[in-house]
Amino acid sequence: MKRFTWIASIVVILVMVLSECGTPEPQIVIRVGTGDAGEGLKPHEEIIARFEAENPDIDVQLEAVAGDYYARLLTQAAAGDAPDIIMVGDDAVPEFVSKGVFLPLEPFIQGKYPLDTSIYLPSVLDPGQWDDKQWLLPKDFSPLGVYYNKKIFDQYDVAYPKDGWTWDDMLKSAQELTKDTDGDGKTDLWGIQLTANWTTGFEYYVAAAGGRLISEDGTQFVGYMDSPETISAVQWLADLYNKYKVAPPPADLTGWAGGNPEFENGKAAMRLFGRWPQSGLRTNPNVDLALVGVPAGKVRANVLFWGGFGIYAKTANPDAAWRFLRFYAGEPGSQVWKDWALPAVASVAESSGAVKDPIEGVWLNELSYLVPRAYVFTPYWGQTANPALGKALETVLIDPAADVATVMQTAAREAQTALDELLAQ
Amino acid sequence: MAAKSQALPSPRRRAGGFARRETITFYLLIAPWLLGFLLFVLGPMLASLGISFTRWDLLSPAKLIGLDNYEKLFTRDPLFWQSLKVTAVYTAVYVPLELAGGLVLAMLMNQKIRGVSVFRTIYYLPSVLPAVAFIVVWIWILHPDVGLINTLLSYVGVDGPRWLANPRWSLPALLMMSLWGLGRGMVIYLASLQGIPKHLYEAAAIDGASGWQSFRKITLPLLTPTIFFNLVLSIISTFQTFTGAFVATNGGPLDSTLFYVLYLYRQAFQFFNMGYASALAWVLFVIIMVLTLVIVRTSDRWVYYEGERG
Repeated sequence: MKRFTWIASIVVILVMVLSECGTPEPQIVIRVGTGDAGEGLKPHEEIIARFEAENPDIDVQLEAVAGDYYARLLTQAAAGDAPDIIMVGDDAVPEFVSKGVFLPLEPFIQGKYPLDTSIYLPSVLDPGQWDDKQWLLPKDFSPLGVYYNKKIFDQYDVAYPKDGWTWDDMLKSAQELTKDTDGDGKTDLWGIQLTANWTTGFEYYVAAAGGRLISEDGTQFVGYMDSPETISAVQWLADLYNKYKVAPPPADLTGWAGGNPEFENGKAAMRLFGRWPQSGLRTNPNVDLALVGVPAGKVRANVLFWGGFGIYAKTANPDAAWRFLRFYAGEPGSQVWKDWALPAVASVAESSGAVKDPIEGVWLNELSYLVPRAYVFTPYWGQTANPALGKALETVLIDPAADVATVMQTAAREAQTALDELLAQ
Repeated sequence: MAAKSQALPSPRRRAGGFARRETITFYLLIAPWLLGFLLFVLGPMLASLGISFTRWDLLSPAKLIGLDNYEKLFTRDPLFWQSLKVTAVYTAVYVPLELAGGLVLAMLMNQKIRGVSVFRTIYYLPSVLPAVAFIVVWIWILHPDVGLINTLLSYVGVDGPRWLANPRWSLPALLMMSLWGLGRGMVIYLASLQGIPKHLYEAAAIDGASGWQSFRKITLPLLTPTIFFNLVLSIISTFQTFTGAFVATNGGPLDSTLFYVLYLYRQAFQFFNMGYASALAWVLFVIIMVLTLVIVRTSDRWVYYEGERG
């Protein structure tokens, strides 16, 4: 009896295996690499499900690598086995493109399955370009803005910030809302939460001061990182922290948002940042959330943070990959992204109501003031000027007595030496 | 150690086919480890030695540049020296603290009181927790404005430092964080404390030895092999400190927590300078090897093995 059961189960398994082989379904497998994780994977999965329903001949597999995504990606690319569709963030574009990781998209855009690139909002295609060619299509993006907590403004009867405001206006509001409410000599309510030594966010200050960090040809930091405009931008940031004391001092200097919880806790009236924490802030009971564009310094300017998808240069199925990419980053994908991020497709931004939304509309409006970020001018930004600039910002934030001009001259020279060495190779 | 291995009969001295069979069995049994070591440790190590003489970004073909990486490292890279300094200072402070702290904890946990196993678990727990999870908790404990430590300090009128945002306090803060992992050394001490024969203490007690004397003359000498083991292990792992700085400070502020391996990681996986990172790795390897050799060579002066004439 026992033996019979054994034989029977083996037969059943064999039949199942063989029948699986028997139904030929020559599906093309397209692998998609992303650095997103957790909740962030949901829109990917939803778009993939929708695509597969319409395209039964293609099987899309999502490969999510949280943490060291780029390291894994480059290792895979070195082994010739990267995913067919690759997601990278803005400042990685020049590096990955110049190392030959991506296929140029023009032949596909004009090809058998064309894509009308005029569907995109102005300027969200630019970060996917390098050497005047399109290599990636947009996934999501965010400019900077200033969140403000209407509760706090109402409580102290301070007028809300208005679009087109300036650095002086910002300082005035921030000073009016920086308060020692219990009289113990310590500030309890802060005017504005800033981003400490976050270098990419800092590019906004430089642009607004009318400066830039690198020469147009991508070879010079000296004369730019230490120009009077850049120095005035650094001075302004340092003064907001150390002289006017309207910003809560950073809790960490890891180079990201400064580790401050004040705005979320209802202890800061404004916060300069990107769109990322927005959904949490909207439901936060401490915050009655509103948004305004970043204030103008000498000029009105903003910078864009961006992620996009491209096709791996060595993909075995470029056409299938393109068919998915065009769906993923095109109008159908945008219908899903709109619930998670700012939609990149103009018609979706319109139809979803984002354009008229009092918060999303502000982000979209900021797209008219974008200036190119420094990484656009050199693939070496990340390992030359970025660390030098970061350290300079740390220095002036930690030491109020530091001379900003000297600090920036040192930083510019350091960045220049590193760049010259790389360019000489 | 030498004394112990002599106790084992050497297979070669045995006669005939049995010895050969035993040898084959021996190699078969260690084969999984040996193959793994050759394929995944020794192979990559030798490859990285080769890579350290090149300039390579993973994608473009590697370019042979001789000793340039090493030359740059020693002569033109202030961050190399900074990271070495941070790591050395940290090791010099942390290793003694870990050795002494682990021993004190083990002595406490060796008491015969009810519920001691609960305490043992509590102290060992951090060693099995995922490092990133407890570091994130520590970031909040150390938060200058809302953190536990500074809040407690404010109750006694002390204005706590801005820990992770202050170049003077960031390294001590990381040190404090790591001491949470004392349980690892504790467990090893505990095992060897329990291996010390009771009759030695009884004899000492009869002779009228005080608690301190029996600790000094019995416990400590019999623990020296364990201390030696913990010392070597601790130095090796402390020189490779990475996670705390990577998660909590990113090497800052002002490179005050730029550990050697963090700098190496940056060169390899943020800047993709594989050749330079390999050179860094080999310099670290040599440093650790030399330190370990020095400790091993000097160990016979202070490490006492049972069965030896002390």
